[in-house]
Amino acid sequence: MKTKTIYWIMAVLVILSLVISACAGGAPAPAAEAPAAEAPAEAAAPAGEFNWRAHEGESLKLLLNQHPYQQALVGELPKFTELTGINVTYDVFPEQNYFDKVTIDLQAGDASTYDVFMTGAYMIWQYAPAGWMEPLEGYINDPSKTNPDYDFEDIVPGLRNSEMWTGEAGRDSMGAGSQWAIPWGWESNAYMYRKDIFDANGLTPPTNIDELVAVSKKLKEINPDMAGIVVRGSLNWATIHPGFMTMYASQGCVDYDENMIPQMNSPCAVEVTEKWIDMVKSAGPEAWTTYTWYQAGSDFGAGKAATLFDADILGFFQNQEGAAAPEVLGNIAWAPGPRGPEGQLNTNVWIWSLAMNAGSKKKDAAWLFMQWATGKDFLTTAVVEPQYTMVNPVRQSIIDNPDFQKRMEFHTDYMKTLQEIQAGDMRIHFTPSPIFFETTTEWAQALQDIYAGADAQTRLDALVKSLTEQLQDVGILD
Amino acid sequence: MHTEKSQGRFASALSDVFLILYFIFALFPLVWMILVSLKSGPELFTTQFIFTPTIENYQAILFGDPRAAAGVVARQEFPRNFMNSLIASSGAVLISLIVGVPAAYALARYKFRGKEDLAFTFLSFRFAPELVVIIPLSVIYRQLGLYDTYFGIMWVYQLVTLPLLIWVLRSYFEDISPDIEHAAMIDGYSWWHVFFKILMPLVRPGLAAAALLAFIFAWNNFMFPLVLGGSNVQTVTVASLGYISSAQGFFNRMAAASVLASLPQIILALSIQRYLIRGLSFGAVKG
Repeated sequence: MKTKTIYWIMAVLVILSLVISACAGGAPAPAAEAPAAEAPAEAAAPAGEFNWRAHEGESLKLLLNQHPYQQALVGELPKFTELTGINVTYDVFPEQNYFDKVTIDLQAGDASTYDVFMTGAYMIWQYAPAGWMEPLEGYINDPSKTNPDYDFEDIVPGLRNSEMWTGEAGRDSMGAGSQWAIPWGWESNAYMYRKDIFDANGLTPPTNIDELVAVSKKLKEINPDMAGIVVRGSLNWATIHPGFMTMYASQGCVDYDENMIPQMNSPCAVEVTEKWIDMVKSAGPEAWTTYTWYQAGSDFGAGKAATLFDADILGFFQNQEGAAAPEVLGNIAWAPGPRGPEGQLNTNVWIWSLAMNAGSKKKDAAWLFMQWATGKDFLTTAVVEPQYTMVNPVRQSIIDNPDFQKRMEFHTDYMKTLQEIQAGDMRIHFTPSPIFFETTTEWAQALQDIYAGADAQTRLDALVKSLTEQLQDVGILD
Repeated sequence: MHTEKSQGRFASALSDVFLILYFIFALFPLVWMILVSLKSGPELFTTQFIFTPTIENYQAILFGDPRAAAGVVARQEFPRNFMNSLIASSGAVLISLIVGVPAAYALARYKFRGKEDLAFTFLSFRFAPELVVIIPLSVIYRQLGLYDTYFGIMWVYQLVTLPLLIWVLRSYFEDISPDIEHAAMIDGYSWWHVFFKILMPLVRPGLAAAALLAFIFAWNNFMFPLVLGGSNVQTVTVASLGYISSAQGFFNRMAAASVLASLPQIILALSIQRYLIRGLSFGAVKG
């Protein structure tokens, strides 16, 4: 009887799979006809002039993260449709689970629903080797596909090079190979402080790691009810990348050496880690190990912390009417992160970007959209118009735009800080690796354990051992 | 005798005190949620119980954010998300009722090969983690064109609602003696009459309890609408996370949305309460 049941189940499964594959076979047919229909439109374009309407009548679907950048895009989308005749629809998902959504959708390959999606730069290391991202240099360099005013070089080099990758894990693999995504809006990690408290106590922003620890402790002494500094601390890769990685890189430490051997237990790394944890323990928020972007920002905006070492735009978002407590509004000032022993400032960045789904069936139309969305017209509007908030702009010409600079005047030293950071080594300071998220989350776990009392050297040695094994498992190390 | 009585009184007073303490403890998160939903931005991060309540959070989620122009993320799609949840969950329960009641009856009454295997297979939908099946499901849904459709969501919710309904109702049908059916048939009722006029009224408490539980589980589901739905069918569970955005954490609006989103469940539970207690305990100890 048992065997018969199994036969029945197998028979039903076979029939089901036949039905499904029959349906699947039928689905892509209309899309496959699309290129034939495009041909006459392209031929109709006047010679020598870029044809924005080459894909008129097609429709694109975007996958977007709920974010001020996305709001600006959605607000201006009708202009793109007017320019190109391409209809665009979009799905927006909250940030907390956005990348789960992206990862699962991209796995559907050709059956995937979306043509263009918002992504961060670190995701390239996971998505590109899986074949989910379309390399873009072929589009950028093709004058028939890219309008002559696009000016890709105008995008800040530290940002666009951070999204070039050879596909190999290793220190030299970034800035070479394919362009996997186009920077769209970005965050540089900076030191934000309460000007009123600093002025009243004769303090100045710290210029090195020892001063950072000392100033944080001093602030805690002055105001025991307030955290001297707030930084992220949750069990997540995102704990490492803002302030901690900026301090780590400025101090001259690296995450991996040129042979991909983890370096989180080097003397440099141990020193930074010990000082960082000492700072958080003595002057940080009480529940530090739960702190994400949201708690860090909220505490600073609500006046529960005197300083914040995180993305510059996190302070910017807090320095708004309605977001900040009355005593905080207008009293936030920016400074670059503390410098390293030789005065170096190696700021780590987060880059919101647009990428093309390799499974998209409308790639040329998708590229028209991407060049419009990362082009000067849209990005300028998104930065200058008061209803939009697309800071920081990725294009140098827009950073230099007087209207943008005027808008940022309310935020003390914001632009000055951005310039100093750009003058330093501003880029992604992590070493690309397909298992970046796993290894970096484990790094955050080590910080939490050291915070809980573990010896830094011992715990970081254990971290390096574990990461080495993981890298061996995936074949990156022998 | 006297001391025994006073001891009894003391014990019952003590248990009352414990019950009240537990009541406060259990309800505190709900009270806190309601308090937070009535707080304005600057008061949000204080732990005071005395503050000036405001309904601006409810206004913002229902009618839009007057401060949207300041570059702060505005969410005003709550009514649409709420309707999506309502359509998807009630649709799913309806489908489960249509399919599940006959299935439960068959599993209770008829003897056929592989009956227990089949019943167990239904149950296995419930205990298999959603994450195990989500990736193949997402591929199949896209190929079948079910992605981001109400029907697609109702269908996948069957994994949540159907096993519950079948297993609760099966034990109810088993409780009813087949003699009742036979007697009614002798009186001239057709099988359909027996089913609708005799059996359905008898299992009504179980039906109400199982349908309500199925509705709550479907309403609370997060993973399926996240992965298999786009903006068209986005439910409150997925959309509520959006009140915490990069620009600002609107915990007060999230609380307001949660208060409103829990209303259908509370209203439903209250309206069928008289069946509920009987329904939940009735089939509980059956083998």
